[in-house]
Amino acid sequence: MKALAIAASNLRRFARDRANVFFVLILPMLLILVLGSVFGRGFEPRVGLVAPGTGDLTNALVDGLEAHDEFAVRRHTDRDTVVRAVERGELEAGLILPPNYDDAIRAGDAVEIDFIARPGQDSLSIRRAIDALLAEQMALPRIAAFVAREGDMPYDQALARASAVTGESVGVHVASTVAGEPFIGRRSWGQFDLGAQQQLMLFMFLTSLAGSAALVQTRRLGIARRMFATPTTVRTILLGEGLGRYGVALVQGIYIMLGTMLIFGVRWGDPLSAVLIVAAFGLVGSGAAMLMGALFSNDQQAAPVGVFLGLGTAALGGCMLPLYVMELFAPAVWTAAHVMPHAWALEAFEVLALRDGGVGDVLPFLGILLGYAAAFYVLAIWRLRAVLTR
Amino acid sequence: MRSALVIAAKDLRQRARDRSVYVFAIVAPLGLAAIFGFVFNPISDADFTATFAVANVDQGPLAAPLVDGVLGGLAQDGNVNLVHAASAEEATRLVEGDGERADQDVDAAIIIPAEFSARVQTGQPAELRVVQNANASLASSLALAIVQEYARQLDYVQGAVATVVSSDPARLADAAAIAQRAGTTPSPVSVRDVSATIKQLGNTTFYAAGLATFFLFFTVQFGVNSLLEERHAGTLSRLLAAPVPKRSIILGKAITAFGLGLVSMLILIVGTSFILGADWGNPGGVALLVVAATASAIGVMTMVSAVARTSEQGAVFSAIAAVLLGILGGTFFPINQAGGVLAGLRYATPHAWFLQGLGDLAGGSIGDIVPAIAALLAFTAVTSGIALVLLGRRLNP
Repeated sequence: MKALAIAASNLRRFARDRANVFFVLILPMLLILVLGSVFGRGFEPRVGLVAPGTGDLTNALVDGLEAHDEFAVRRHTDRDTVVRAVERGELEAGLILPPNYDDAIRAGDAVEIDFIARPGQDSLSIRRAIDALLAEQMALPRIAAFVAREGDMPYDQALARASAVTGESVGVHVASTVAGEPFIGRRSWGQFDLGAQQQLMLFMFLTSLAGSAALVQTRRLGIARRMFATPTTVRTILLGEGLGRYGVALVQGIYIMLGTMLIFGVRWGDPLSAVLIVAAFGLVGSGAAMLMGALFSNDQQAAPVGVFLGLGTAALGGCMLPLYVMELFAPAVWTAAHVMPHAWALEAFEVLALRDGGVGDVLPFLGILLGYAAAFYVLAIWRLRAVLTR
Repeated sequence: MRSALVIAAKDLRQRARDRSVYVFAIVAPLGLAAIFGFVFNPISDADFTATFAVANVDQGPLAAPLVDGVLGGLAQDGNVNLVHAASAEEATRLVEGDGERADQDVDAAIIIPAEFSARVQTGQPAELRVVQNANASLASSLALAIVQEYARQLDYVQGAVATVVSSDPARLADAAAIAQRAGTTPSPVSVRDVSATIKQLGNTTFYAAGLATFFLFFTVQFGVNSLLEERHAGTLSRLLAAPVPKRSIILGKAITAFGLGLVSMLILIVGTSFILGADWGNPGGVALLVVAATASAIGVMTMVSAVARTSEQGAVFSAIAAVLLGILGGTFFPINQAGGVLAGLRYATPHAWFLQGLGDLAGGSIGDIVPAIAALLAFTAVTSGIALVLLGRRLNP
C-alpha cells in the first residue's frame, strides 16, 4: 500500500536523524530520573545544626532532633556556613546551640537557641516540631528551675523530686484520630511513577510537534509535489503523512512506557488500557503535528515554535505541576489545565494507577482524546489539501 | 578590528531576517515564563488559613485558656477560622464533611470533653481530642500541635505544684497561687527567631531568569554556528583568502554572538520585569552577571561547535549541550533539592553560577556576586581557549 510506503519513509527519516538518539531516547529518561530524584521522594526539610557543647542535655537534644521524622539534620561546625546555606535554600532552617547549654540549664539560667530560617510558611512547621521536642525535654528542668526559685530546695534535688512525682502522675492525654479518605488514593505512587506519566505526555506531544518540521520540509523540498505527480491520490498522500506522524508519536510513547518499566520499575496499570491511552494520545499529538506542518512554510521556524508550544501546552496541561496539586491549591489553574489534551490523558492514567481501573474506566477519557485528535486532523487535512504542493 | 566589525554587522543583519532567532531569543522564554508563572505562582502564594471546629463541652476554667486564649488569639490574628460546635459528634461530622455546614472545609476538630477541668484539677486522667481531616495534613497537624502544647503546659503546672506540695504538704493551701506563678515561669530554653535574608529568587523571577539563561545558550549559538554555515556555503574559504587575519573572523563571529546574547537578555529582563513583575535586582549587578554569563555561553557553545564537522552537526551538538547544561544547572527546577551528586553537579554548569549570582545579589549587595562572576569568567576562559585551539586547526582554507 502506498500510504504505508510513505509512512515508512517518514519513519526511516526519523530514525536516521541522529539528533533523535538524544532528544527522543536519552532526554526523556534523563528527565524522569532527575524529576524522580528531586520531587519523587516527598520533600524532607533539611535543618542545619551547630551543637558545639557536650553534656547529657545537649546530647539528648541532638539525638532527639536527628531521630525526628519530620526533617533531616545536617551537622555543621560554624554558624556562618549554616546561615549562608539557609539563605541560599540549601537548608530549610538552622539551629545554633550555645556551647554552655548543659551548664547554663543546670545553673538555672536562661538559655537561648537561635533558629535561622527564611521568612515564610515552610519554616513554621519545622519551628513547631522543634518547640515540641524542646518542651518535652525541658519539662523536668523547667519544674526543677521553678521549684528551686521558689526557694524550696536546690536545683538537683528539685530535679530528682520532680522526676519522682511526675513519674507517678498520669497527665493530660491527647487522643488524635483521622477522619475521611485520603485524596491520594489507595496505592501510593512509586518514586518515578508520576514523573514518568507526565514526561510520557510531554514528550509524545513535543516530539510530534518538533517533528512537524519534517512535514514542512516535505512540502518545501518538493517531495510532496513529486508524490502528487505520480498516480497517487491526495488522499493517499495525506494518509501516508498522517500515518508517518502517528508512527513517530507511537514510537516515542511505547519507548518511554517500556523503558521506564525496565529502568525505573514504573507501573502503568492495566496493560491494555495503558496501550489504548498511548494510542489515543498519539493520535492527538500527530494531529497537532499535521496541523503545524500545514500552517508553517519554513521548517526552520516550525522546529522552535514546535518546541515552545510543546513545552507550554505540557506545562499548562499538568505535565510539570501535578494535576492533584493544582486541584488542592489552585482550582482555576486546574480548570485551565483541562483545555489541554495532556490533562485528560493524565487523568486516565491516574484512574489506572490509583484506582486499579480497566478499559471501561478509561473509555470516557479515550473518547475525549479522540475528539481532540479528530479536530486536529480535520483542520490539518482541510488546510493541507490546499498547500500540500506549495 | 574593523573587518571584525564588518563581519559582525553582516551576520547580525542576516540573523535579523531569520525569524527563528526571535522565537528562541524572545518569544519562547517570555511565553514560557508567563505560562510557568500562571501555573506555579498560585500554589506558592496560597494563603494558609486553617479552619477548626471547636467543641468546648467542658466549659470549665481549664478549657477557657485553650479556646479563648490560644485559639481565640490565633483567630484574631487571622491565621485560623473557628467554627463552634455544640457537641463532639457535631465537630467530628464537620470534619468528615456531611454536616449541615458541610460547605466549609474544616481541617480539624478540637474537642474538650465534659468534666475535663474537674478531672485535671483532681488529678484524674483527662483527655483532649483532635480529629484530623485526612486531606488537610498541614492544617490538621497544626491543630494537633496546639492541643499537645496546651496539654504539656497543663502537665507542667500540675507537676510543679505537685513537686512543691510533695516536699511541703502545708503548701497545698497555696496551690492556686503556686500554679499561677508556675504558669508564668518560662522554660529554661527559649528559641530566638533569626530571620535570614532571602538569597533566593522569588518564583516569578526564578522562572524568568531560569528560562532566559536556558534560551541564552540557544541564542548565542546562532552567532557561533554561522562559522560552520559559512564553511558549508563556501563563503568561508573566500573570507580566508581575503587579506583578513583569521582572528578577525573569529572575533567578528564572537561579536555577533555577544550582541545577540546581550540584546536578547536585555529584552527579556525588561519584558519579564514589566509584563510579569519579575524582580531581577540591582541593575549594575545584573548587568555584570549578564555580560559574564553571555561570555561563558559563547565560550561553551563555540567549544561544542568546534568539535562538529558540519553546521547541521554543530546545531545538534549545541542543542544537546544547551539542554543538558540547562537541566543540570537548575534552570527548570531547583536541582539543589535533589541532594547528593545531582546537586553538586550543577556547579559544572555556568547556568547554576549565574542563577546563584542573581540569588546572592537579591539578598545582598554587588560585592556578593564576585564568586559567581569569577566562576563564569573561568568558564569563558577555559572553553574559549579550547575552542580557539580547535578552530585554529579548522580554519585552514
